Amino acid sequence: MSDGGDHGGGFVPRRFVIGQFANADALLDGTRKVREAGNKSLDTHTPYPLHGLEDALGLGRPKIPTLVLLGAIAGACIAYAMIYYMNVVDFPINVANRPAHSPPTNLPITFELAVLLGGSSAFFGFFTLAGLPKPYHPVFEADFFARASIDGLFLSVEVPAGGDVDKVAADVRGAGAVEVQTVTESER
Amino acid sequence: MAAPHPVITSPDPLDPRPLIEGKQTDQTINDSLLEHVWRGAGKGWWALFGVALSALGLLVIAITYTLYKGIGSWGNNIPVGWAFGIINFVWWIGIGHAGTLISAILLLLQQKWRTSINRFAEAMTLFAVICALLFPLLHTGRPWFAAYWLMPYPSVQGIWPQFKSPLTWDVFAVSTYFTISLLFWFLGLVPDLAALRDSSKSRAKRFAYGIFALGWRGSGRHWAEYKWAYVLLAGLSTPLVLSVHTIVSFDFATSVIPGWHTTIFPPYFVAGAVFSGFAMVATWMIPAREFLGLKHVVTARHIEMMCKVMLATGMIVTYGYVMEHFIAWYSGDPYEFAQFFLVRQRGPMSGVYWLMIFCNCIVPQLFWTKRGRTNLAVVWMASILINVGMWCERFNIIVTSLHRDFLPSKWENYGPTWVDISLFIGTIGLFSTLFLLFLKFVPAVALTEVKELRHELEHAEHGAGEEKHA
Repeated sequence: MSDGGDHGGGFVPRRFVIGQFANADALLDGTRKVREAGNKSLDTHTPYPLHGLEDALGLGRPKIPTLVLLGAIAGACIAYAMIYYMNVVDFPINVANRPAHSPPTNLPITFELAVLLGGSSAFFGFFTLAGLPKPYHPVFEADFFARASIDGLFLSVEVPAGGDVDKVAADVRGAGAVEVQTVTESER
Repeated sequence: MAAPHPVITSPDPLDPRPLIEGKQTDQTINDSLLEHVWRGAGKGWWALFGVALSALGLLVIAITYTLYKGIGSWGNNIPVGWAFGIINFVWWIGIGHAGTLISAILLLLQQKWRTSINRFAEAMTLFAVICALLFPLLHTGRPWFAAYWLMPYPSVQGIWPQFKSPLTWDVFAVSTYFTISLLFWFLGLVPDLAALRDSSKSRAKRFAYGIFALGWRGSGRHWAEYKWAYVLLAGLSTPLVLSVHTIVSFDFATSVIPGWHTTIFPPYFVAGAVFSGFAMVATWMIPAREFLGLKHVVTARHIEMMCKVMLATGMIVTYGYVMEHFIAWYSGDPYEFAQFFLVRQRGPMSGVYWLMIFCNCIVPQLFWTKRGRTNLAVVWMASILINVGMWCERFNIIVTSLHRDFLPSKWENYGPTWVDISLFIGTIGLFSTLFLLFLKFVPAVALTEVKELRHELEHAEHGAGEEKHA
């Protein structure tokens, strides 16, 4: 999900074509058409998730479930190892001759840390994958884009360096966009 | 892998009343749900805020006094070694549980009505857990030392927590619960903060909400992962919420005090937690939907659903009481029998017992009838009584059990001091202050999810219409 914003020394502004669509079906349909016309780096911008967006954008398997599973396993292992080390190896406390290593009493904390690390991986994993926080993005330059979080449905296409903006804009318009704007990244 | 959000295909045929009233578009939902954030604070808000802030002041005084004088200023003393501190801790944690139940469990069960009240209830969870956490910390007497008494911290003393103690489990359970609830709440809030940013009229507000919105741009690539992160956090929160009150109940159930030593505690604590939590949501939601203009998304159907949950969990709690008494009799243990049939019912604190029975077992019976569930004044009063009842339940379990244990020579009565009472009222003030600030600065209803629900409902209606035509 990287935005490919490696500019090196000289600033080369990225260019985007943004199209607004009238309704969800038009957006999904339009996204598919624009992608099939050979455009890369497509993204949609909607106030809520739409059913079928993944297919329209041609996205692969989501990565979050794997991350969460790994986080939860790591949490459980860390917790159990920590309890074992502290209460068995480093400082065993003999209470009424009960065994130093008692698996049932270790379960609650093992579970809690699995949830803690699994949940944290979902949260921090998402923001890392999404590249957020990122207060500035070229798509915000479009003056109609504020509607993306309110009721607007948008498709944005990043025009590759040396690519033809007008051709991409024509593709987006041809796919059913009701309004199309082109924006250029500003240097800051 | 299929998307985690299923599309509903038709409205509930058994209950034709709508979840969203009137003809709404994304724009009207956006405007009506954000209206209460944009409009200036009214007289009512300031009046409530003043009261809440005064109570918060009382909390500051009581905490300062506790830290200065030590916990000897509290009323608990042997044999009643645990009293207000733990009662309030369990009570607040329980109130928090409704938030997680609504946001996580009802999400997994695909209960569409949760959408209008989840943000509200999740905020309640966070603030209730903050209030709850104060009590065990203060009960250590020196909270600044508590870090390495409670957490496994490599100190020069080379000593570690005793991991076989439910009190240590509690530390991990409650801190995990707070962290995960906060992450879940914030993750759900980010798209709404973006909507706030983009609806802002002034530059300053746009900037302030923009910082918290983290540059959210509704990207489809983000949504694809976001949906999974959200549903998995819900999936993790579900066993978490059950484990938290289970572990809290272990603090009692693993000991030998008559009235504590029982295996029914974990499920009965969890049901009681949900019971009191829903009551607290109703207590705040009934006035809030009126004053914040949320009646089109929090409809009579939502209130009725909450009443049904209160009735069901109230009946589970009642069953718990019955079983406690039955086992006390059936076990043949004279101490258990005396605790349940003599001390609680006829002892010096029997008033609290009978108040508990009235509030928790009798009051929810009002919700069997539709009239009881739809009369807002009745529901509101009942919700307050239920929280009184649940506080009494914890008082009964903790103080009543402790003040009459095995040795009559140890028996002693208990009374709270002004510090105990001020701490309790003070946390209500802290909770209310935080909640009023939340209602002022953040949309009380999960905007994005209501829009999504509206879209799904419209889609379902549209789809059904097309099928009829064909």
